[in-house]
Amino acid sequence: MLLLRLAMRNVRRNVHRTVLTAGTVVFGTALLTVALAWLTGVFGTLTNTMASFGGHARVMTTAFAAREELMPLSEHLQHADDLAAAAMKLPGVRAAYPRIVTGVTLTKGDEIGDQFGLAVGAPIGWYTDQLHLGKDIVLGTMFTGADGETVLGRTVAEAIHAQVGDTIIALGMTQDGAMAPVKAKVVGIASGGNQLVDNGIFLPLEPLRWMADVDDGATELLIYGDDKTEGKTLAAELRADPAFSDDVVQAWDEQPSTAGIVAMTGVVNSIISSIIVFVCALGVWNTMMMSVMERTREIGVMRAMGLTRPGTVVLFVVEGLFIAAIGGAVGVALGCIPAYALQVYGVNLGDKMAHSAGVPVQSHVYALLTVGVVVEAFTLGLCTALVGTAFPAWRAASIQPVDAMRSR
Amino acid sequence: MNGRFVLALLLASSLPVVASLSQPAVAGEVAVPTADQLLSYVDKNMTFATRTATIKMTVVSPQRTRTFVMQTFGRGETESAIEYLDPARDKGTKMLRRGDEMWMWLPSVESVQKISGHMLRQGMMGSDLSYEDMMGAAQLRDKYTAKVTGAETKNGVLCWRVEMIAKDATVAYPKRISWIDQKSHIPISQELYAVSGMLLKVWDMSDIRTYDGGRQFPAKMVIIDKLKQGTSTTIEMTSITFGVALEEETFSQRWLERH
Repeated sequence: MLLLRLAMRNVRRNVHRTVLTAGTVVFGTALLTVALAWLTGVFGTLTNTMASFGGHARVMTTAFAAREELMPLSEHLQHADDLAAAAMKLPGVRAAYPRIVTGVTLTKGDEIGDQFGLAVGAPIGWYTDQLHLGKDIVLGTMFTGADGETVLGRTVAEAIHAQVGDTIIALGMTQDGAMAPVKAKVVGIASGGNQLVDNGIFLPLEPLRWMADVDDGATELLIYGDDKTEGKTLAAELRADPAFSDDVVQAWDEQPSTAGIVAMTGVVNSIISSIIVFVCALGVWNTMMMSVMERTREIGVMRAMGLTRPGTVVLFVVEGLFIAAIGGAVGVALGCIPAYALQVYGVNLGDKMAHSAGVPVQSHVYALLTVGVVVEAFTLGLCTALVGTAFPAWRAASIQPVDAMRSR
Repeated sequence: MNGRFVLALLLASSLPVVASLSQPAVAGEVAVPTADQLLSYVDKNMTFATRTATIKMTVVSPQRTRTFVMQTFGRGETESAIEYLDPARDKGTKMLRRGDEMWMWLPSVESVQKISGHMLRQGMMGSDLSYEDMMGAAQLRDKYTAKVTGAETKNGVLCWRVEMIAKDATVAYPKRISWIDQKSHIPISQELYAVSGMLLKVWDMSDIRTYDGGRQFPAKMVIIDKLKQGTSTTIEMTSITFGVALEEETFSQRWLERH
């Protein structure tokens, strides 16, 4: 308690230095709040998009998984509807959708054009409940349930000059490699601000099943729980079920295309946070070091009067933490203002950049200010103080009372 | 036995081999034709002014076996047409080739689609045959320079082994090795290579039958695409007629769209 009172007194003794230290922490935590909110928003949207497009967990045949980049239709899941029904019986599974994704050549006229695209065939429920394609429709409507309908991504529609009401032909392959066409009327054009939607050719499942000549098969089975965080649990349940024993089951963040991004998210987060904490800690270290040097004689007297080395360390650390707590609170509060503005208004990167990113990043990205972000920024602010006061506190504890009292 | 005697023996034993490779020469009792002569014989058998045929095509893949029945029409080297009769999924599909252009009538979408470029070299109906293979009937003599490299027994038939190199790099198979039946002058077996030297396809012909005018023609062909795994395509000529009169419309887009 005495140490706490001494620390409080020291904070008040040199207001300028305290303000300088607190200012460093304020700057650091404000910057951390904005940066963490931004990263949470960008990567959160990215991973949400990938999890909603690829399923919280996904089932495919072993042979398909081995050559997935080639999308071999011949390696499809047979009786995918039965597998979906089996998956729905598992605890935590809220929805299961068979899906086919295959390359097609798209044309509006008689000559097969050079406009290649990925045709997606899935139950309408997947488009409405998981991909939320309805909110991305910019022209026309979503599927009405009539036969022979398609929704085109905006980029694809523009490439073949297709408009709502036009009839297009998607020429793909059967599982045997024979040419197989699907004719469909464009009922809607969608723009999700990311390449998954904007480059998509969306069709109900049955036409693509006919094209691929796979009866009730599908290249993959997408499984959804309440939230993407349940992906690994769902995957474990599926693997334990005999119905899926011959297949490959992957949680969304275990899929090769997403695992790298998830890992990158953590790395980028850590690097940015570390840089901010380190730079701000240097500021704290500087002012606290000045404090130690100014108070050398005082420290010597206190050590002579019985203040132990650990006590000296605690004295300076508590002082640093007290300043950091106040500075952190102020910094988080200040950082929340731009972070909230970024959450509301976002930043438009432009379609070109979003489509060339290689990952389904949105063209308009937003920050996401959560309690977690605030707590993390504040905690890192305290870490700044801990790191910044560690050396000065050790230095203070190393002072010999006799030498300290002789010093001027 | 001194060294000079051994050398003389070796030279003497190698003479038949050298003789078989020189052109023209004698291999056994059969005179070795020149490569040009051989290709002329092959072209005379395999190309035609007009032809109709009903063909059964069986495509075997690791997953399943599919059988197609089709009616084909051919006129000269550059015009051919195919109509699929079976299975139900593909019934009514028509293909028309004129020169380097090809169109398909796709009954499921009731649309004519023009096919060009690399798509011509894709497997027709997922078979080991490309559209070019099935619908082309070009004279080998025009496309390749050849040399006879020996006499060999292939698939139980005594053949001339002929190596062909394309005169023009744009042909589908820049190099061919053919084993041409010494009697029927049908290429009993062919190895088709890419310009890199990679073996692309092996094409065997059998059940050689004689038609009007003494033309020899294989009633069965087995093609294996070496770039695929576990596939083969067998073509059986259920019926074939050469020199038939064909309507002009057969090779028109109107024929394609006619139901």
